[in-house]
Amino acid sequence: MAETLSDNNPSLAAVVRVDNPPPDRSTLKTVLTMLVLVILIALVWEGAKSFARAQEYKLNLFGSEIDLSIFNNTKLPHLGDIARAFGEPAQRNGPPLYQTLINYSLFTFSEALLGFGIGSILGFLLAIIFAHSSLLQRGLLPYVVASQTIPILAIAPMVVIWMRNIGQSSLAVPVIAAYLTFFPVTIYTLRGLTSVPQTSLELMHSYAATRWQILWKLRIPNALPHIFTAFKISATASVVGAVIGELPSGIQNGLGIALLNFTQFYNQSPPRLWAAIVAAALLGIIFFVSMSLLERLVVRWQVKESD
Amino acid sequence: MTPIISIQNVTKRFQSADSAAVLALDNINLDIQKGEFVSLIGPSGCGKSTLLRVIADLIQPTAGTVLVNDKPAAQARKDRDYGMVFQNATLYDWRSIIKNVELPLEIMRFPKPERTRRAREMLKLVELGDFEEKYPWQLSGGMQQRVSIARALAFEPKILLMDEPFGALDEMTRERMNNELLRIWKSIDGMTVIFVTHSIPEAVYLSTRVVVLSPRPGRLSEIIDIPLPQPRSAATRDMDEFFHLSTRVRNALRFGVEN
Repeated sequence: MAETLSDNNPSLAAVVRVDNPPPDRSTLKTVLTMLVLVILIALVWEGAKSFARAQEYKLNLFGSEIDLSIFNNTKLPHLGDIARAFGEPAQRNGPPLYQTLINYSLFTFSEALLGFGIGSILGFLLAIIFAHSSLLQRGLLPYVVASQTIPILAIAPMVVIWMRNIGQSSLAVPVIAAYLTFFPVTIYTLRGLTSVPQTSLELMHSYAATRWQILWKLRIPNALPHIFTAFKISATASVVGAVIGELPSGIQNGLGIALLNFTQFYNQSPPRLWAAIVAAALLGIIFFVSMSLLERLVVRWQVKESD
Repeated sequence: MTPIISIQNVTKRFQSADSAAVLALDNINLDIQKGEFVSLIGPSGCGKSTLLRVIADLIQPTAGTVLVNDKPAAQARKDRDYGMVFQNATLYDWRSIIKNVELPLEIMRFPKPERTRRAREMLKLVELGDFEEKYPWQLSGGMQQRVSIARALAFEPKILLMDEPFGALDEMTRERMNNELLRIWKSIDGMTVIFVTHSIPEAVYLSTRVVVLSPRPGRLSEIIDIPLPQPRSAATRDMDEFFHLSTRVRNALRFGVEN
């Protein structure tokens, strides 16, 4: 399925592949498609800039004037300038920006990973409880859903204050990341644990299997593909959570603070903020791809989907 | 002789929220002796699969009792007196073939070497010895169903409950599987099989007795003895007696539907 789609519709194929990892022989094709997309975006980016400059940042369209100043160098820097910003120091006599960003990224990643771990375990346990008690599921699941409607920006300062109160300031950011992580894991794991085919369950009953055996030998393996879908969503969400969590917690060496600082000094050097954005995006992508690779190692029986 | 399975006044009513209750089984009485091969046949909706699940204690009857080996069906299930085979092979995708056959043995806490030994033996019995390390999706439908038979036999139950096991297979494969099943039934002493099907030739070819059920409500309409000589083979299908018995089953089915 993914195979035929990727031939004429790369964007749709990318969506399909989240659920069905393609066999290895198409990896090259995926990489090539991504490369072509990146080149296309770069062409559009630079093309729009030079077009706007040729029009002197004003376009007359059917009598009304459109402001094109968002394409000028302060608002949308040249890609070359952004690339160059990585190599230049952010502070005088400091290390080049890329080194700072790598250090910040590693720090933010350690927080995101811890939050991902806490959130995944919490989400997994909640799903197991919900799968075994429809009473608890009906009673508690609405609150789990409601928890995600509260903006993370409203929760984050409170978490920082609470964690400071109990003397665990260093856990504030991971807890905020966990808050975004646990939800997809709960929902997808619950779906996987409960979407067991009727006859698979009857087979277990015919062996007089215990609940525990049914959980370990049927429900959890059945849920694994769903759990990995959740992991891939949560991996990126945990990075977002960690970046946002850093803002109210006063951490000085993370990507969140870097983004905040470069925003404040944007007029001085626009490419730096863009470089930090690229670093944050890369971090999320790397985490996501690692989860995809882990999925391929663990959920090997899924190859039948694309074979 | 006490029957190995005794079905007494079994009634099953399905209550759904939005409509009237459906009477799936209406006062069924049936005794099955050790070593028999009994087919339950009837049009869809006659409750033959429901009856099989009541015997297996996978669903509870609204009224009546089922005795298996002289004890309640629930106790027989706990004692693992029967093996079950479903229409779809119901193999676990994440387990290799041999691990699928070992599944009931794991549940029943057999030691590891014993599990492997028995699973190997059963896979040889269904002639899939070379496929131990394959995964279910690498096997054809007929092979998958043979694995599920091996799995059902792995803990050596003396009763095999089969719910349209070959219904999804093509005619050629189905006939081959029929012979395979008869060979296995013959090779295990005192093995009793209850076999749900909607194929008349399959029921007549395999069985020592055919139980015809009629739909709405599910009733036992006729029991037909199949005295065809054993062992059965391709020649059996050409016997006059085979056609004669098939016609009797067909008439019983028609009679049940028209009433």
